[in-house]
Amino acid sequence: MAKKLKLNLITPQKQLLTDLEVDMVVLPALLGEMGILPGHVPVLVQLTYGDLRYKKDGKDFDFAVMGGFVEVKDDVVNAFAEGADLADEIDEEAENQKIKKAKEALTKKDADIDFELAEIELKQAITRMKVKRRKMS
Amino acid sequence: MESLRDIRQNIKAIKSTQQIMQTMKMISNARIRRAQDAMAAARPFAIQMLKMVSNLEPQVMALPQPEDGPETWASRLFINRTADDNKIGLVVITGDKGLTGSFNAVVLRAAMRFIKEHFEKEIFVFAIGKKGRDFLARLKMPNLHIVYESVGIFPKVSYAHAELLGEAVLKTFIQENLKDLTLIYNDFKSLASQNLVEQIILPFEPSDASQKISTQEFEFEPGLLEIFKIMVPRLVKANMYRVLLESQAANLAATTNAMDAASKNAGEIVGALGLKLNKVRQTGITNEILDIVNGAEALNN
Repeated sequence: MAKKLKLNLITPQKQLLTDLEVDMVVLPALLGEMGILPGHVPVLVQLTYGDLRYKKDGKDFDFAVMGGFVEVKDDVVNAFAEGADLADEIDEEAENQKIKKAKEALTKKDADIDFELAEIELKQAITRMKVKRRKMS
Repeated sequence: MESLRDIRQNIKAIKSTQQIMQTMKMISNARIRRAQDAMAAARPFAIQMLKMVSNLEPQVMALPQPEDGPETWASRLFINRTADDNKIGLVVITGDKGLTGSFNAVVLRAAMRFIKEHFEKEIFVFAIGKKGRDFLARLKMPNLHIVYESVGIFPKVSYAHAELLGEAVLKTFIQENLKDLTLIYNDFKSLASQNLVEQIILPFEPSDASQKISTQEFEFEPGLLEIFKIMVPRLVKANMYRVLLESQAANLAATTNAMDAASKNAGEIVGALGLKLNKVRQTGITNEILDIVNGAEALNN
């Protein structure tokens, strides 16, 4: 296990991880989960809402990512996510509130723009909850 | 000659205005920091995205035609488009408020020049910021279509704003088959200065340097085209986000500078008025003494 991956996680708002040395990365690819180990063939993957996990020194770290894509090349993993939250920092209570609010907005169906926003909010909150739950179990 | 009371009142008024200006300066000064941080944080995404998209570009150019259109995929958002020459897009980003020196005026002047240069074309305008929106709406030119406006987003720009703007831009760009899209905004250069930027952001310019880096060895999941199709909108939005943040920081810097200059000015006026006040007061006293002396002289005689 001498070889390591370098992981970059970037969102439009912020660069979350920079050249972090990790042993393995698991991506929520559009067509299913995908594990990346050192020496992986160069690949460009589209992400969906889900759990981006990486293993470092025997420990697992989870991010809830909101879509995006990942470029793997020369043992460097560049992840561009629309949004990303570290599982340990997700507040279940707050997410529950968001889900409730978004669901309420969805039942009203006022303006179409609110509708779309609420839908995205809901999807994001659910993703965060799922990742958090999985992490705890 | 003004009375003592008038001058005192004048001084008081100016001093309180100065106070307000100083406060405004401090507020925007405090906000600049945050705006700058956000700007720095957003930069890597936009830069990395652009790199990746330019890397993919040659490959996408080589793709066969899509089934639902006459053009190649590449031409949809890149060069070699068979676009309508008479339709162009313009994004104007100004601030929401005045009191920023020439910040808004510079942008609007550039926008005006642009509109005059292309008066024979149909211009689809995206107005960000109250000042720009109001200005463009007042023009009432028949060839000007305001398709999108967004006011009151400063100084709290978030990615959601950029997303909405990017969405509108892309939609119009493809639907109306625009020839190109120009962006006019103020770039944050330093705390002391802003740069007016006028650039064409769509269609993308092919970058010569990237041509050499081959992406041939990449595998794609689900596929090059699918990935590319979502990548381009994301790049546009990331770019919009960056530009909005730049504009926001520049706006705050301009406010700080304008308020600094104004409160300095006010200080000078207060100083001048103080001198005048003393002069008037002394003249008054001298006159009174003269009166008394004269009165005493008259009694003596």
